[in-house]
Amino acid sequence: MEETNKMEEPNKQEEQTSTQKIGIYLWIWGLLFVLSFFSYMVDWYQFQGMLRWSLILFFMFLKAGLIMAFFMHLFWERYALVNVLLWPMTAIACFIFLMNAEFQYTLFSRFFYFVVGGA
Amino acid sequence: MSEQKIDGFELRPGFKGMASDTGSDQTMFKGVHWGKAMMWIFLLSDTFVFSCFLISYMKGRGSTIVDWPNTSEVFSLYVGGVPVPLLLIAIMTFVLITSSGTMALAVKYGYEKNRKMCGWLILATAVGGLTFVGMQVFEWSKLIHEGVRPWGNPFGAAQFGSFFFMITGFHGFHVSIGVIFLFIYTYKVFAGHYDSKKRGWFTKMKGDYVEIEILGLYWHFVDLVWVFIFAFFYLW
Amino acid sequence: MSDEYDNNKSYQAQSSEVLDGSAGSINPDMDYVRPAEIPEQDLYHAHSFIEKWIFCQDAKVIGVQYFLTAVFTGIVGLILSWLMRLQLGFPELAGFMTAEHYYQFVTMHGMIMVVYFLTALFLGGFGNYLIPLMVGARDMVFPYVNMLSFWMFFVAVAVLMASFFVPGGPTGAGWTLYPPQTILEGTPGSGTGILLMLISLSLFVIGFTMGGLNYMITILQARTRGMTLMRMPLTVWGIFTATVLAMLAFPALLVSAIMMTLDKVLQTSFFMPTILKAGEVLEYGGGSPILFQHLFWFFGHPEVYIVALPAFGIVSDLISVHARKNIFGYRMMVWAIVGIGGLSFFVWAHHMYVSGMNPWFGFFFATTTLIIAVPTAMKVYNWILTLWRGNIRINTVMLWCLGFIVTFVNGGITGIFLGNVSVDVPLSDTYFVVAHFHMVMGIAPLMVIMGAVYHWFPLVAGKMLSETLGKWHFWITFLGAYSIYFPMHYLGFIGVPRRYFEMYDSPYMTSTVGMNEFISVAAFIVGAAQFILVFNIIKTLKTGKKAEQNPWKANSLEWYTSTVPPEHGNFGERLPVVHRWPYDFSVPGAKDDFIPQTTAPSEVANTEVEKT
Ligand code: HEM
Ligand SMILES: [Cu+2]
Repeated sequence: MEETNKMEEPNKQEEQTSTQKIGIYLWIWGLLFVLSFFSYMVDWYQFQGMLRWSLILFFMFLKAGLIMAFFMHLFWERYALVNVLLWPMTAIACFIFLMNAEFQYTLFSRFFYFVVGGA
Repeated sequence: MSEQKIDGFELRPGFKGMASDTGSDQTMFKGVHWGKAMMWIFLLSDTFVFSCFLISYMKGRGSTIVDWPNTSEVFSLYVGGVPVPLLLIAIMTFVLITSSGTMALAVKYGYEKNRKMCGWLILATAVGGLTFVGMQVFEWSKLIHEGVRPWGNPFGAAQFGSFFFMITGFHGFHVSIGVIFLFIYTYKVFAGHYDSKKRGWFTKMKGDYVEIEILGLYWHFVDLVWVFIFAFFYLW
Repeated sequence: MSDEYDNNKSYQAQSSEVLDGSAGSINPDMDYVRPAEIPEQDLYHAHSFIEKWIFCQDAKVIGVQYFLTAVFTGIVGLILSWLMRLQLGFPELAGFMTAEHYYQFVTMHGMIMVVYFLTALFLGGFGNYLIPLMVGARDMVFPYVNMLSFWMFFVAVAVLMASFFVPGGPTGAGWTLYPPQTILEGTPGSGTGILLMLISLSLFVIGFTMGGLNYMITILQARTRGMTLMRMPLTVWGIFTATVLAMLAFPALLVSAIMMTLDKVLQTSFFMPTILKAGEVLEYGGGSPILFQHLFWFFGHPEVYIVALPAFGIVSDLISVHARKNIFGYRMMVWAIVGIGGLSFFVWAHHMYVSGMNPWFGFFFATTTLIIAVPTAMKVYNWILTLWRGNIRINTVMLWCLGFIVTFVNGGITGIFLGNVSVDVPLSDTYFVVAHFHMVMGIAPLMVIMGAVYHWFPLVAGKMLSETLGKWHFWITFLGAYSIYFPMHYLGFIGVPRRYFEMYDSPYMTSTVGMNEFISVAAFIVGAAQFILVFNIIKTLKTGKKAEQNPWKANSLEWYTSTVPPEHGNFGERLPVVHRWPYDFSVPGAKDDFIPQTTAPSEVANTEVEKT
């Protein structure tokens, strides 16, 4: 049933033998636990306002960065791949930025018409 | 990954390398298996899916004039009569990160052709994923029990329940798909399909340990999304 | 007159002398192409009829399957447009049609044409067929998933068509599906119809993702030796960039479809604001209809370029081949395609100037929208400069290309009108917009499709389509399309709104009766003229003359396969090795007026080829 193509050549792709040291994975693993613990502490101690949000974002980006860079090996990948993956995020950034402006405007008009204007 | 060689092509580092890789023939991502590149592009697309969900959540939450429920209270568990905020979520995060770590090691052992280690670690990952889904079921039923519904809830803005069920549901769906594949791959690793280059059941393609890394990328991505959901939905 | 190359006779005479004199100077080093970096693809050959023609993994067969399915939906869309024009031009003859029917036809026509016809045809049809051939691959990198992609699409089409037959009929909310009206009672098809539409769209997105990953990765990771990105035909560039846009834009559609499904089925209020209906407050409340519009257009604007970019790419190749000249400014063309693609993610809310969004957005989006006109205009100049002093063959393919250029310029200019907030506000939701987008994304890409069919038919079927029928087809379509859409600009200026069932008794509406009748007649004729192509194809398959290999004397790899039509695996024993771009036409000093991409430099050592 399983017939191969006769055009096949000897498999040229070099075997991927060089892998990372186990230590680096354990380190990142540990760091992720610590960072998750810290972000949990943000809630535990009920920080509020700017402090809360900047800490949440800080830990979030750090964790995301570690996962992408080491668990997903982006740190070792060539720039061509890394750039292809990261540049599209500008579209998302723009979308976030504009929707941020948009919800404030919606909120403003809701207050204006429902509460202040009070029909 | 690190020290590879390509016949007749100089692999230069950094942006120079990016330019010469892009300008070269045959492949743009040098030394990257096509399947891995494909998974990466899929994840990029999936990132846009989750970004759209989270952006919608931002817009929805930001513009409602009804108060948003206090997540810290809504998601607390009682331990010995004392409410511990976000306890379940913290455990879920712990489980998911654990499984991400075992996955990373499974990929490493896969490339080293250490069949046993690789298999056990994938199995551990699958079990972790299953635990996560189980806890999510628990979380959902608890909230449903407390009266939270997609169309409304006793704690505040109706959109809270809508976004909660939709976003965590979509994430949980990703986890479940991942778990299914993890179990399948556990079998395939232990059965030695990747050492003997046995052909896939449907795709008829030769097995290769790179598939473990591809699955690993997906699994780490699921973890990555959880990092954002945890920050934006539970902590914010 | 069209198929002769008199001008080149003199070149040939000269160049053979030149070549003879240079025989000693051949340098093997200059032909060096570095060795293969990727292993030969391990192709799975079909064993049975079902594997060969139904669940087939060969991209070429999948391409034809996509093509035929898309054309089928296109014909459904065409029939719907006839029905609408019947109502608008001759309402007394369309007594069977209610306003509800009309809304349903508008909606289905729009959605079918944009998504299920044009997108599927360009990416699924042309993409599948041409990408592996043009980049010198044996097949897509993951043929199995490619096969699933088509069947997903097939199911999506089936679900879409099923909505015609459910109680309440298909949705009539307009192809933009704006909530809240889309899922509220009173809108036609707000029950099962809209649900099936949303399910079908989601299936389409999933299916497309499977195919799109294949198109992208085949282009990025599976080119043949010597095929650099900057040696790819612009067709591949266009399809590639469009696929990237699709991979990043369809998620927004998927998400909005999921959220709307939940609003419909579970009574969530993602998009549903507080609504008073006949004095009663509905269960919905607190949602944001404008969020849907943002999500929809975050998908929708890239979508229009998903349709436009493959057309740009294909037409560039057709013009170059049939004008026997290299494409003017190849690199500029590539950057323009990529630039337009990138920018298209930053302009979406120009469709929402009258939606009540944050007023500051108008400024931002008008600016980005007008910036897009720059790379677009560069492309138009380059097409014209390619034709300039070319050895133009006025054959059917070229006619379609020329038709495309004028139509596209026309639609692009009205686009610039609409990009400005203050001009758009009065023109929004009038026939002016209808004229704009039909010119720019309806007729223009359609012309390219037609040109492409006449161009590649000899490759796919091994036979030449009839030129006479082709020219009739072109002229009727071209003149007819202008008769339809030119007057619509005027209708828009006097304020006739779009998506209206009838032209009520207001003064400016009654003044349009004659014009509407004229447009409708033209629409019937143009629609019918498309069957000339169907007839042409059937006739050619039966009795047409066999095409020689590479009848147009083109350079790109698809014409240099081992057999015509190409078999599974495309290139026989050995993959081709590429030494140049596909645009070496009429090179001074060369023996022929074209140099295939596979020609080694030493064979044309004393010619003035471009360094590519
Ligand atoms: C110079 C380039 C272009 C500009 C400045 C432009 C601008 C615009 C603007 C401002 C609108 C919104 C009009 C309104 O609803 O009031 C619009 C509508 C539209 N455009 Fe374009 N456009 C351009 C090119 C294109 C291209 C290349 C396509 C497709 C291939 C396209 C397809 C459409 C469609 C389908 C709509 C109508 C959508 C709807 O509301 O149903 N446009 N265009
Ligand atoms: Cu647009």
